[in-house]
Amino acid sequence: MKPVRLAIAGLTACSGCQLTLLNCEDELADVLRRFELVYFPMAQSGGRKEGPFDAALVEGAVSTPADLDMLFSLRNASRLLVAYGTCAAFGGVAAMNNGQSTREELLRTVYGGQGSLPESFAPAPFGNFVSVDWTIRGCPPEKDEVVELLAALLAGTLPPVRSYPVCTECRSRENLCLLLEKGELCLGPVIQGGCNARCPATGIACEGCRGPVREANVAQELELLLERGFGRDEIERRMNRFKPGWDYGQRR
Amino acid sequence: MEKSFLEATRLNGFLEKLRLFGALHGPTVTDAGVTTFAPVTDPAQLLTDYRRTQIPPKKYLLPFREQLLSYRDGRYAEPAEAPPAIVLFALHPCDLAGIAYLDRVFLGDNTDPGYAARRARLTLVGISCEPDDFCFCSAPDAAANCDAFLATTKNGYLFSALTARGEEIAAAAADLLSASDVSQPAAALQSGTGVAPQDPELRFSDNPLWQKFADTCVSCGACSVCCPTCYCFDVREYPALDGGGVRIREWDNCLFATHGEVAGANFRPTRLDRLRYRFLHKYCGFTPLQGITSCVGCGRCKAVCPVGIDLRELFCAAGGEMSS
Repeated sequence: MKPVRLAIAGLTACSGCQLTLLNCEDELADVLRRFELVYFPMAQSGGRKEGPFDAALVEGAVSTPADLDMLFSLRNASRLLVAYGTCAAFGGVAAMNNGQSTREELLRTVYGGQGSLPESFAPAPFGNFVSVDWTIRGCPPEKDEVVELLAALLAGTLPPVRSYPVCTECRSRENLCLLLEKGELCLGPVIQGGCNARCPATGIACEGCRGPVREANVAQELELLLERGFGRDEIERRMNRFKPGWDYGQRR
Repeated sequence: MEKSFLEATRLNGFLEKLRLFGALHGPTVTDAGVTTFAPVTDPAQLLTDYRRTQIPPKKYLLPFREQLLSYRDGRYAEPAEAPPAIVLFALHPCDLAGIAYLDRVFLGDNTDPGYAARRARLTLVGISCEPDDFCFCSAPDAAANCDAFLATTKNGYLFSALTARGEEIAAAAADLLSASDVSQPAAALQSGTGVAPQDPELRFSDNPLWQKFADTCVSCGACSVCCPTCYCFDVREYPALDGGGVRIREWDNCLFATHGEVAGANFRPTRLDRLRYRFLHKYCGFTPLQGITSCVGCGRCKAVCPVGIDLRELFCAAGGEMSS
Protein backbone atom coordinates (compact mmCIF):
# COMPACT_ATOMS: atom_id res chain seq x y z
CA MET A 1 0.00 0.00 0.00
CA LYS A 2 1.32 3.43 -0.91
CA PRO A 3 1.95 5.50 2.19
CA VAL A 4 -0.24 8.55 2.68
CA ARG A 5 1.78 11.69 1.98
CA LEU A 6 1.40 14.42 4.60
CA ALA A 7 2.34 18.01 5.12
CA ILE A 8 2.17 19.35 8.67
CA ALA A 9 2.81 23.05 8.96
CA GLY A 10 1.94 26.20 10.85
CA LEU A 11 1.16 29.82 10.01
CA THR A 12 0.77 32.49 12.73
CA ALA A 13 0.42 30.27 15.79
CA CYS A 14 2.06 28.87 18.88
CA SER A 15 2.83 25.46 17.30
CA GLY A 16 0.73 23.80 20.02
CA CYS A 17 -1.43 21.96 17.48
CA GLN A 18 1.62 20.45 15.77
CA LEU A 19 2.96 19.58 19.20
CA THR A 20 -0.29 17.74 19.95
CA LEU A 21 0.53 15.37 17.11
CA LEU A 22 4.04 14.83 18.46
CA ASN A 23 2.49 14.13 21.84
CA CYS A 24 0.57 11.15 20.44
CA GLU A 25 3.43 9.00 21.67
CA ASP A 26 1.58 5.69 21.63
CA GLU A 27 0.64 6.18 17.99
CA LEU A 28 3.76 7.80 16.54
CA ALA A 29 5.40 4.53 15.52
CA ASP A 30 2.29 3.56 13.55
CA VAL A 31 2.11 7.04 12.04
CA LEU A 32 5.72 6.84 10.84
CA ARG A 33 5.15 3.37 9.42
CA ARG A 34 2.06 4.27 7.45
CA PHE A 35 2.54 7.92 6.48
CA GLU A 36 5.19 9.68 4.53
CA LEU A 37 5.90 12.94 6.35
CA VAL A 38 6.93 14.85 3.25
CA TYR A 39 6.90 18.28 4.89
CA PHE A 40 6.93 18.75 8.66
CA PRO A 41 9.45 21.52 9.38
CA MET A 42 8.75 21.57 13.11
CA ALA A 43 9.82 17.93 13.48
CA GLN A 44 12.29 17.28 10.65
CA SER A 45 14.57 19.25 8.35
CA GLY A 46 14.82 18.87 4.60
CA GLY A 47 11.13 18.55 3.75
CA ARG A 48 9.62 19.48 0.39
CA LYS A 49 6.79 21.95 0.62
CA GLU A 50 5.97 21.56 -3.08
CA GLY A 51 4.19 18.28 -2.45
CA PRO A 52 2.13 16.72 -3.80
CA PHE A 53 0.32 15.74 -0.59
CA ASP A 54 -2.67 13.59 0.16
CA ALA A 55 -3.42 15.85 3.08
CA ALA A 56 -1.98 19.00 4.63
CA LEU A 57 -2.64 19.64 8.33
CA VAL A 58 -2.03 23.33 8.82
CA GLU A 59 -2.36 25.25 12.07
CA GLY A 60 -2.45 28.96 12.75
CA ALA A 61 -4.23 32.08 11.63
CA VAL A 62 -3.40 33.89 8.39
CA SER A 63 -1.87 37.26 9.29
CA THR A 64 1.05 37.99 6.94
CA PRO A 65 1.62 37.86 3.19
CA ALA A 66 4.01 34.96 3.84
CA ASP A 67 1.21 33.09 5.66
CA LEU A 68 -1.05 33.62 2.70
CA ASP A 69 1.59 32.42 0.22
CA MET A 70 2.15 29.31 2.32
CA LEU A 71 -1.58 28.66 2.60
CA PHE A 72 -2.14 28.95 -1.17
CA SER A 73 0.90 26.81 -1.86
CA LEU A 74 -0.25 24.02 0.48
CA ARG A 75 -3.82 24.25 -0.77
CA ASN A 76 -2.63 23.84 -4.34
CA ALA A 77 -0.28 20.98 -3.51
CA SER A 78 -2.69 18.97 -1.39
CA ARG A 79 -5.76 16.89 -2.13
CA LEU A 80 -7.20 17.63 1.33
CA LEU A 81 -6.55 20.76 3.34
CA VAL A 82 -7.18 20.41 7.07
CA ALA A 83 -7.68 23.50 9.21
CA TYR A 84 -5.78 22.15 12.18
CA GLY A 85 -6.92 23.83 15.38
CA THR A 86 -9.02 26.79 16.38
CA CYS A 87 -6.71 29.50 14.94
CA ALA A 88 -6.91 27.92 11.49
CA ALA A 89 -10.66 27.39 11.80
CA PHE A 90 -11.79 30.63 13.49
CA GLY A 91 -8.79 32.92 13.96
CA GLY A 92 -8.29 31.80 17.55
CA VAL A 93 -6.47 33.80 20.22
CA ALA A 94 -4.43 35.51 17.52
CA ALA A 95 -7.59 37.16 16.22
CA MET A 96 -8.72 38.37 19.62
CA ASN A 97 -8.89 42.17 19.61
CA ASN A 98 -10.29 45.07 21.57
CA GLY A 99 -11.98 46.54 18.53
CA GLN A 100 -10.21 49.84 19.06
CA SER A 101 -6.49 49.64 18.30
CA THR A 102 -5.34 49.90 14.70
CA ARG A 103 -3.02 47.30 13.23
CA GLU A 104 -0.20 49.82 13.19
CA GLU A 105 -0.65 50.63 16.89
CA LEU A 106 -0.48 46.96 17.72
CA LEU A 107 2.66 46.45 15.68
CA ARG A 108 4.35 49.50 17.24
CA THR A 109 3.51 48.19 20.71
CA VAL A 110 5.07 44.82 19.96
CA TYR A 111 8.01 45.75 17.74
CA GLY A 112 8.83 49.21 19.12
CA GLY A 113 8.65 52.65 17.63
CA GLN A 114 11.90 52.51 15.66
CA GLY A 115 12.60 50.97 12.30
CA SER A 116 10.38 49.26 9.78
CA LEU A 117 7.48 47.06 10.78
CA PRO A 118 6.74 43.60 9.42
CA GLU A 119 3.91 43.44 6.95
CA SER A 120 0.79 42.01 8.55
CA PHE A 121 -2.98 42.20 8.60
CA ALA A 122 -5.76 41.22 11.00
CA PRO A 123 -5.45 37.47 11.71
CA ALA A 124 -8.11 35.51 9.85
CA PRO A 125 -9.22 31.90 9.47
CA PHE A 126 -8.42 29.78 6.39
CA GLY A 127 -11.99 29.86 5.20
CA ASN A 128 -11.61 33.53 4.31
CA PHE A 129 -9.12 32.61 1.57
CA VAL A 130 -9.34 28.96 0.52
CA SER A 131 -11.69 26.00 0.66
CA VAL A 132 -11.15 23.73 3.66
CA ASP A 133 -11.89 19.99 3.53
CA TRP A 134 -11.80 19.15 7.22
CA THR A 135 -11.49 20.98 10.50
CA ILE A 136 -9.98 19.83 13.77
CA ARG A 137 -11.08 22.16 16.52
CA GLY A 138 -9.62 22.97 19.88
CA CYS A 139 -6.90 25.01 21.52
CA PRO A 140 -5.11 22.68 21.61
CA PRO A 141 -6.94 19.91 19.71
CA GLU A 142 -7.77 16.60 21.35
CA LYS A 143 -5.20 13.92 20.57
CA ASP A 144 -8.03 11.49 19.84
CA GLU A 145 -9.41 13.72 17.11
CA VAL A 146 -5.99 13.99 15.46
CA VAL A 147 -5.47 10.23 15.51
CA GLU A 148 -9.06 9.74 14.34
CA LEU A 149 -8.37 11.86 11.28
CA LEU A 150 -5.09 10.13 10.46
CA ALA A 151 -6.70 6.70 10.76
CA ALA A 152 -9.57 7.80 8.54
CA LEU A 153 -7.12 9.12 5.92
CA LEU A 154 -5.50 5.68 5.84
CA ALA A 155 -8.91 4.16 5.25
CA GLY A 156 -9.47 6.62 2.43
CA THR A 157 -12.18 8.59 4.18
CA LEU A 158 -12.84 11.28 6.78
CA PRO A 159 -14.04 10.65 10.35
CA PRO A 160 -17.74 10.80 11.24
CA VAL A 161 -18.77 14.28 12.36
CA ARG A 162 -19.73 15.05 15.96
CA SER A 163 -22.11 17.93 16.41
CA TYR A 164 -23.18 18.23 20.00
CA PRO A 165 -22.40 20.97 22.49
CA VAL A 166 -20.04 20.68 25.44
CA CYS A 167 -23.08 20.36 27.78
CA THR A 168 -23.94 16.94 26.40
CA GLU A 169 -20.68 15.32 27.41
CA CYS A 170 -20.51 17.46 30.55
CA ARG A 171 -23.88 16.25 31.83
CA SER A 172 -23.15 12.68 30.82
CA ARG A 173 -19.94 12.79 32.87
CA GLU A 174 -22.04 13.92 35.84
CA ASN A 175 -20.10 17.14 36.30
CA LEU A 176 -21.56 19.92 38.37
CA CYS A 177 -23.26 22.41 36.00
CA LEU A 178 -21.12 25.52 36.47
CA LEU A 179 -23.65 27.69 34.64
CA LEU A 180 -26.74 26.71 36.65
CA GLU A 181 -25.32 25.60 39.99
CA LYS A 182 -22.41 28.02 40.33
CA GLY A 183 -23.62 30.93 38.21
CA GLU A 184 -20.39 30.98 36.21
CA LEU A 185 -19.87 32.38 32.73
CA CYS A 186 -19.88 29.03 30.97
CA LEU A 187 -20.15 28.82 27.18
CA GLY A 188 -20.95 25.08 27.16
CA PRO A 189 -24.36 25.36 25.43
CA VAL A 190 -22.99 27.05 22.29
CA ILE A 191 -19.58 25.37 21.97
CA GLN A 192 -18.84 22.23 20.00
CA GLY A 193 -18.19 19.18 22.19
CA GLY A 194 -15.79 16.33 21.58
CA CYS A 195 -13.42 17.39 24.37
CA ASN A 196 -15.38 15.28 26.87
CA ALA A 197 -15.97 18.49 28.82
CA ARG A 198 -12.32 18.58 29.81
CA CYS A 199 -12.47 21.96 31.59
CA PRO A 200 -15.83 21.74 33.41
CA ALA A 201 -14.77 18.31 34.68
CA THR A 202 -12.04 20.07 36.64
CA GLY A 203 -14.29 22.92 37.76
CA ILE A 204 -13.33 25.43 35.05
CA ALA A 205 -16.16 26.95 33.00
CA CYS A 206 -16.09 26.34 29.24
CA GLU A 207 -14.19 29.21 27.61
CA GLY A 208 -15.16 28.20 24.11
CA CYS A 209 -11.87 26.99 22.66
CA ARG A 210 -13.58 24.64 20.22
CA GLY A 211 -15.72 27.27 18.54
CA PRO A 212 -19.45 27.35 17.90
CA VAL A 213 -21.58 24.23 17.73
CA ARG A 214 -23.83 23.84 14.72
CA GLU A 215 -26.96 26.02 14.94
CA ALA A 216 -25.80 27.56 18.21
CA ASN A 217 -28.52 29.58 19.90
CA VAL A 218 -26.19 32.51 20.50
CA ALA A 219 -28.93 35.03 21.26
CA GLN A 220 -30.34 32.85 24.03
CA GLU A 221 -26.92 32.11 25.52
CA LEU A 222 -26.30 35.86 25.64
CA GLU A 223 -29.68 36.41 27.27
CA LEU A 224 -29.22 33.77 29.93
CA LEU A 225 -25.78 35.10 30.82
CA LEU A 226 -27.14 38.64 31.03
CA GLU A 227 -29.94 37.34 33.28
CA ARG A 228 -27.31 35.88 35.56
CA GLY A 229 -25.77 39.29 36.02
CA PHE A 230 -22.83 39.27 33.62
CA GLY A 231 -22.16 42.45 31.68
CA ARG A 232 -22.44 42.52 27.92
CA ASP A 233 -18.76 43.52 27.59
CA GLU A 234 -17.59 40.71 29.81
CA ILE A 235 -19.65 38.17 27.87
CA GLU A 236 -18.41 39.39 24.50
CA ARG A 237 -14.82 39.39 25.70
CA ARG A 238 -15.16 35.78 26.79
CA MET A 239 -16.86 34.72 23.58
CA ASN A 240 -14.26 36.51 21.44
CA ARG A 241 -11.35 34.82 23.14
CA PHE A 242 -11.18 32.05 20.55
CA LYS A 243 -13.45 33.31 17.80
CA PRO A 244 -14.19 36.91 16.90
CA GLY A 245 -17.31 38.00 15.07
CA TRP A 246 -20.17 36.13 16.74
CA ASP A 247 -23.65 36.97 15.51
CA TYR A 248 -25.35 37.77 18.81
CA GLY A 249 -28.76 37.73 17.18
CA GLN A 250 -28.36 34.17 15.86
CA ARG A 251 -30.90 31.67 17.18
CA ARG A 252 -30.16 28.83 14.79
CA MET B 1 -46.99 -12.33 61.27
CA GLU B 2 -44.63 -12.07 58.32
CA LYS B 3 -41.18 -10.79 59.11
CA SER B 4 -40.76 -7.79 56.89
CA PHE B 5 -39.52 -4.97 59.05
CA LEU B 6 -35.95 -3.77 58.76
CA GLU B 7 -34.91 -1.52 61.61
CA ALA B 8 -32.94 1.52 60.46
CA THR B 9 -30.04 0.43 62.67
CA ARG B 10 -29.82 -2.81 60.71
CA LEU B 11 -29.53 -1.16 57.30
CA ASN B 12 -25.75 -1.58 57.14
CA GLY B 13 -26.11 -5.30 57.83
CA PHE B 14 -28.73 -5.49 55.10
CA LEU B 15 -26.35 -3.78 52.65
CA GLU B 16 -23.74 -6.42 53.42
CA LYS B 17 -26.29 -9.09 52.50
CA LEU B 18 -27.00 -7.27 49.23
CA ARG B 19 -23.31 -7.53 48.33
CA LEU B 20 -23.86 -11.29 47.97
CA PHE B 21 -25.78 -10.50 44.78
CA GLY B 22 -23.21 -8.23 43.14
CA ALA B 23 -21.21 -5.05 43.54
CA LEU B 24 -23.28 -2.60 45.55
CA HIS B 25 -24.10 0.68 43.82
CA GLY B 26 -26.34 3.42 45.11
CA PRO B 27 -26.93 7.16 45.34
CA THR B 28 -23.83 9.01 46.51
CA VAL B 29 -22.47 12.51 46.05
CA THR B 30 -19.33 13.41 44.08
CA ASP B 31 -16.61 15.75 45.35
CA ALA B 32 -18.13 18.46 43.18
CA GLY B 33 -21.51 17.95 44.84
CA VAL B 34 -23.40 16.04 42.15
CA THR B 35 -25.72 13.23 43.22
CA THR B 36 -24.81 10.12 41.29
CA PHE B 37 -25.28 6.36 41.29
CA ALA B 38 -21.83 4.97 42.04
CA PRO B 39 -20.14 2.03 43.78
CA VAL B 40 -20.72 2.08 47.53
CA THR B 41 -17.69 0.86 49.43
CA ASP B 42 -18.59 2.48 52.73
CA PRO B 43 -22.29 2.67 53.75
CA ALA B 44 -21.60 6.20 55.03
CA GLN B 45 -21.36 7.30 51.37
CA LEU B 46 -24.93 6.25 50.70
CA LEU B 47 -27.64 8.90 50.48
CA THR B 48 -30.87 7.13 51.36
CA ASP B 49 -32.87 10.37 51.44
CA TYR B 50 -31.62 11.84 48.14
CA ARG B 51 -33.90 13.67 45.71
CA ARG B 52 -32.60 12.66 42.28
CA THR B 53 -29.31 11.81 40.61
CA GLN B 54 -28.17 13.90 37.65
CA ILE B 55 -27.88 10.87 35.37
CA PRO B 56 -30.57 8.22 35.82
CA PRO B 57 -29.83 4.50 36.23
CA LYS B 58 -30.08 4.04 32.44
CA LYS B 59 -26.30 4.49 32.41
CA TYR B 60 -25.99 0.95 33.79
CA LEU B 61 -27.97 -0.46 30.89
CA LEU B 62 -27.08 1.88 28.07
CA PRO B 63 -23.70 3.52 28.72
CA PHE B 64 -23.11 7.01 27.29
CA ARG B 65 -20.54 5.51 24.93
CA GLU B 66 -19.81 1.84 24.35
CA GLN B 67 -17.92 -0.21 21.83
CA LEU B 68 -20.20 -2.52 19.90
CA LEU B 69 -17.49 -4.33 17.99
CA SER B 70 -14.00 -4.12 16.58
CA TYR B 71 -13.02 -5.17 13.07
CA ARG B 72 -9.84 -6.09 11.28
CA ASP B 73 -8.83 -8.06 8.20
CA GLY B 74 -12.41 -8.67 7.09
CA ARG B 75 -13.48 -10.10 10.47
CA TYR B 76 -15.20 -8.55 13.43
CA ALA B 77 -15.44 -9.37 17.12
CA GLU B 78 -17.87 -8.26 19.78
CA PRO B 79 -16.49 -7.38 23.22
CA ALA B 80 -16.00 -10.67 25.03
CA GLU B 81 -16.25 -9.26 28.52
CA ALA B 82 -19.32 -10.32 30.49
CA PRO B 83 -20.98 -7.41 32.31
CA PRO B 84 -20.44 -7.42 36.09
CA ALA B 85 -23.22 -8.32 38.54
CA ILE B 86 -24.45 -5.12 40.16
CA VAL B 87 -27.00 -4.46 42.88
CA LEU B 88 -28.51 -1.05 42.35
CA PHE B 89 -29.78 0.08 45.72
CA ALA B 90 -32.24 2.81 46.67
CA LEU B 91 -33.88 3.44 43.32
CA HIS B 92 -36.92 5.67 43.40
CA PRO B 93 -40.18 4.45 41.84
CA CYS B 94 -39.80 6.91 38.94
CA ASP B 95 -36.42 5.48 38.03
CA LEU B 96 -37.81 1.95 38.32
CA ALA B 97 -40.58 2.98 35.94
CA GLY B 98 -37.88 4.36 33.65
CA ILE B 99 -36.11 1.00 33.60
CA ALA B 100 -39.45 -0.74 32.98
CA TYR B 101 -39.91 1.45 29.90
CA LEU B 102 -36.39 0.79 28.61
CA ASP B 103 -37.04 -2.94 29.13
CA ARG B 104 -40.03 -2.68 26.80
CA VAL B 105 -37.91 -0.97 24.17
CA PHE B 106 -34.76 -3.09 24.37
CA LEU B 107 -36.13 -6.47 25.46
CA GLY B 108 -39.07 -6.42 23.07
CA ASP B 109 -39.30 -8.03 19.64
CA ASN B 110 -35.74 -7.17 18.70
CA THR B 111 -33.81 -7.80 21.85
CA ASP B 112 -30.68 -5.71 22.17
CA PRO B 113 -27.96 -8.17 23.21
CA GLY B 114 -25.80 -5.64 25.09
CA TYR B 115 -28.76 -4.28 27.01
CA ALA B 116 -30.11 -7.75 27.76
CA ALA B 117 -26.75 -8.96 29.08
CA ARG B 118 -26.39 -5.97 31.38
CA ARG B 119 -30.02 -6.12 32.50
CA ALA B 120 -29.74 -9.78 33.47
CA ARG B 121 -26.84 -8.96 35.78
CA LEU B 122 -28.61 -6.10 37.50
CA THR B 123 -30.50 -6.52 40.78
CA LEU B 124 -32.84 -3.63 41.51
CA VAL B 125 -33.76 -2.59 45.04
CA GLY B 126 -36.21 0.28 45.29
CA ILE B 127 -36.85 2.72 48.09
CA SER B 128 -39.70 5.13 48.73
CA CYS B 129 -39.11 8.83 48.29
CA GLU B 130 -40.21 12.31 49.21
CA PRO B 131 -41.07 14.47 46.20
CA ASP B 132 -39.61 17.97 45.84
CA ASP B 133 -40.63 20.96 43.72
CA PHE B 134 -39.35 19.40 40.49
CA CYS B 135 -41.11 16.05 40.89
CA PHE B 136 -44.40 15.49 39.14
CA CYS B 137 -45.11 11.78 39.39
CA SER B 138 -48.55 10.73 40.51
CA ALA B 139 -47.95 7.33 42.07
CA PRO B 140 -44.83 7.45 44.22
CA ASP B 141 -45.66 4.18 46.00
CA ALA B 142 -45.47 2.06 42.89
CA ALA B 143 -42.79 -0.57 43.17
CA ALA B 144 -43.55 -2.97 40.40
CA ASN B 145 -40.31 -3.13 38.46
CA CYS B 146 -37.74 -4.18 41.01
CA ASP B 147 -36.55 -7.26 42.82
CA ALA B 148 -37.16 -5.85 46.26
CA PHE B 149 -38.52 -2.65 47.71
CA LEU B 150 -37.99 -0.79 50.96
CA ALA B 151 -40.84 1.45 52.05
CA THR B 152 -39.55 4.00 54.53
CA THR B 153 -41.35 4.13 57.87
CA LYS B 154 -40.64 5.98 61.09
CA ASN B 155 -37.94 3.71 62.47
CA GLY B 156 -36.89 1.72 59.50
CA TYR B 157 -38.13 0.10 56.33
CA LEU B 158 -40.84 -2.31 55.31
CA PHE B 159 -39.24 -4.86 53.05
CA SER B 160 -41.08 -6.54 50.21
CA ALA B 161 -39.77 -9.07 47.72
CA LEU B 162 -41.21 -8.81 44.22
CA THR B 163 -39.25 -11.41 42.25
CA ALA B 164 -37.48 -14.71 42.86
CA ARG B 165 -34.26 -12.76 43.35
CA GLY B 166 -36.09 -10.58 45.84
CA GLU B 167 -37.05 -13.73 47.76
CA GLU B 168 -33.40 -14.76 47.76
CA ILE B 169 -32.52 -11.39 49.25
CA ALA B 170 -35.24 -11.91 51.88
CA ALA B 171 -33.79 -15.33 52.71
CA ALA B 172 -30.24 -13.97 52.92
CA ALA B 173 -31.38 -11.14 55.18
CA ALA B 174 -33.89 -13.20 57.18
CA ASP B 175 -32.12 -12.75 60.51
CA LEU B 176 -32.16 -8.96 60.06
CA LEU B 177 -35.90 -8.72 59.47
CA SER B 178 -38.37 -8.65 62.30
CA ALA B 179 -42.11 -8.87 62.65
CA SER B 180 -43.94 -5.63 62.32
CA ASP B 181 -47.38 -4.40 63.07
CA VAL B 182 -47.03 -1.59 60.58
CA SER B 183 -49.08 -2.62 57.59
CA GLN B 184 -47.47 -2.83 54.17
CA PRO B 185 -48.44 0.09 51.96
CA ALA B 186 -50.46 -1.09 49.00
CA ALA B 187 -48.22 -1.25 45.94
CA ALA B 188 -49.91 0.22 42.91
CA LEU B 189 -50.22 -2.09 39.94
CA GLN B 190 -49.17 0.49 37.36
CA SER B 191 -45.75 2.05 37.37
CA GLY B 192 -45.86 5.62 38.55
CA THR B 193 -45.90 8.43 36.06
CA GLY B 194 -46.90 12.02 36.26
CA VAL B 195 -48.33 12.39 32.81
CA ALA B 196 -51.22 10.74 31.05
CA PRO B 197 -50.65 9.85 27.37
CA GLN B 198 -51.42 12.82 25.14
CA ASP B 199 -53.12 13.11 21.79
CA PRO B 200 -50.38 12.99 19.09
CA GLU B 201 -52.19 15.79 17.22
CA LEU B 202 -51.30 18.10 20.09
CA ARG B 203 -47.79 18.38 18.75
CA PHE B 204 -49.17 20.44 15.89
CA SER B 205 -51.19 22.72 18.15
CA ASP B 206 -51.05 26.45 17.53
CA ASN B 207 -50.08 27.13 21.13
CA PRO B 208 -47.72 30.15 21.07
CA LEU B 209 -45.55 28.36 23.65
CA TRP B 210 -44.15 26.24 20.82
CA GLN B 211 -42.45 29.23 19.22
CA LYS B 212 -41.31 30.55 22.59
CA PHE B 213 -39.68 27.22 23.41
CA ALA B 214 -38.11 27.00 19.95
CA ASP B 215 -36.59 30.47 20.43
CA THR B 216 -35.26 29.88 23.92
CA CYS B 217 -34.08 26.24 23.73
CA VAL B 218 -30.28 26.30 23.52
CA SER B 219 -30.17 22.68 22.33
CA CYS B 220 -27.72 21.80 25.07
CA GLY B 221 -29.34 18.36 25.15
CA ALA B 222 -29.38 18.16 28.96
CA CYS B 223 -33.10 17.25 29.17
CA SER B 224 -32.54 14.19 27.04
CA VAL B 225 -29.15 13.22 28.49
CA CYS B 226 -30.66 13.27 31.99
CA CYS B 227 -34.00 11.65 31.04
CA PRO B 228 -34.44 8.13 32.45
CA THR B 229 -36.24 6.96 29.31
CA CYS B 230 -34.39 8.77 26.49
CA TYR B 231 -32.59 6.02 24.68
CA CYS B 232 -31.86 7.37 21.18
CA PHE B 233 -28.41 6.40 20.09
CA ASP B 234 -26.01 7.00 17.25
CA VAL B 235 -23.75 4.34 15.80
CA ARG B 236 -20.44 5.40 14.29
CA GLU B 237 -17.35 3.67 12.98
CA TYR B 238 -13.82 4.84 13.54
CA PRO B 239 -10.96 3.32 11.59
CA ALA B 240 -7.77 2.66 13.57
CA LEU B 241 -4.14 3.26 12.55
CA ASP B 242 -3.48 -0.48 12.38
CA GLY B 243 -5.97 -0.90 9.53
CA GLY B 244 -8.82 -2.19 11.71
CA GLY B 245 -11.41 -0.12 13.47
CA VAL B 246 -14.19 0.06 16.01
CA ARG B 247 -17.92 0.59 15.91
CA ILE B 248 -19.26 2.59 18.82
CA ARG B 249 -22.70 3.43 20.12
CA GLU B 250 -23.27 6.77 21.82
CA TRP B 251 -26.34 8.54 23.21
CA ASP B 252 -27.98 10.64 20.54
CA ASN B 253 -30.30 13.52 21.20
CA CYS B 254 -33.46 14.68 19.45
CA LEU B 255 -32.57 18.33 20.14
CA PHE B 256 -29.64 18.20 17.72
CA ALA B 257 -29.69 19.07 14.04
CA THR B 258 -28.07 15.76 13.15
CA HIS B 259 -30.78 13.63 14.78
CA GLY B 260 -33.15 13.81 11.82
CA GLU B 261 -30.50 14.29 9.17
CA VAL B 262 -30.19 11.88 6.27
CA ALA B 263 -28.31 12.11 2.99
CA GLY B 264 -29.47 15.27 1.30
CA ALA B 265 -32.15 16.34 3.76
CA ASN B 266 -33.30 16.67 7.33
CA PHE B 267 -36.61 15.30 8.60
CA ARG B 268 -36.62 17.95 11.34
CA PRO B 269 -34.80 20.96 9.95
CA THR B 270 -35.76 23.44 12.67
CA ARG B 271 -35.61 23.47 16.44
CA LEU B 272 -39.39 23.76 16.47
CA ASP B 273 -39.66 20.49 14.51
CA ARG B 274 -37.33 18.85 17.00
CA LEU B 275 -39.32 20.00 20.01
CA ARG B 276 -42.56 18.73 18.43
CA TYR B 277 -40.87 15.39 17.84
CA ARG B 278 -39.63 15.25 21.42
CA PHE B 279 -43.14 15.99 22.63
CA LEU B 280 -44.50 13.16 20.49
CA HIS B 281 -42.00 10.64 21.80
CA LYS B 282 -42.24 11.63 25.45
CA TYR B 283 -45.96 12.16 25.88
CA CYS B 284 -47.70 10.28 23.05
CA GLY B 285 -45.37 7.39 22.22
CA PHE B 286 -44.55 5.83 18.89
CA THR B 287 -45.35 2.51 17.31
CA PRO B 288 -45.17 -0.09 18.88
CA LEU B 289 -45.32 1.91 22.11
CA GLN B 290 -47.92 4.33 20.80
CA GLY B 291 -50.21 5.57 23.51
CA ILE B 292 -47.60 4.95 26.19
CA THR B 293 -46.04 7.98 27.76
CA SER B 294 -42.36 7.63 28.50
CA CYS B 295 -42.33 10.46 31.03
CA VAL B 296 -41.99 9.03 34.54
CA GLY B 297 -42.25 12.35 36.38
CA CYS B 298 -38.73 12.37 37.84
CA GLY B 299 -38.38 16.11 37.17
CA ARG B 300 -34.81 15.93 35.85
CA CYS B 301 -35.58 17.75 32.58
CA LYS B 302 -37.02 20.64 34.54
CA ALA B 303 -34.14 20.68 37.00
CA VAL B 304 -31.39 20.73 34.36
CA CYS B 305 -32.86 23.03 31.68
CA PRO B 306 -30.88 26.28 31.57
CA VAL B 307 -33.86 28.20 30.18
CA GLY B 308 -36.70 26.66 32.20
CA ILE B 309 -38.54 24.85 29.41
CA ASP B 310 -41.25 22.45 30.57
CA LEU B 311 -43.01 20.80 27.63
CA ARG B 312 -45.90 19.81 29.88
CA GLU B 313 -47.06 23.40 29.79
CA LEU B 314 -48.16 22.70 26.24
CA PHE B 315 -50.96 20.41 27.29
CA CYS B 316 -51.63 22.10 30.57
CA ALA B 317 -52.58 25.17 28.54
CA ALA B 318 -54.53 22.97 26.11
CA GLY B 319 -56.70 21.70 28.96
CA GLY B 320 -54.77 18.52 29.72
CA GLU B 321 -53.93 17.47 33.23
CA MET B 322 -50.84 18.67 34.99
CA SER B 323 -50.22 17.44 38.46
CA SER B 324 -47.82 20.01 39.89
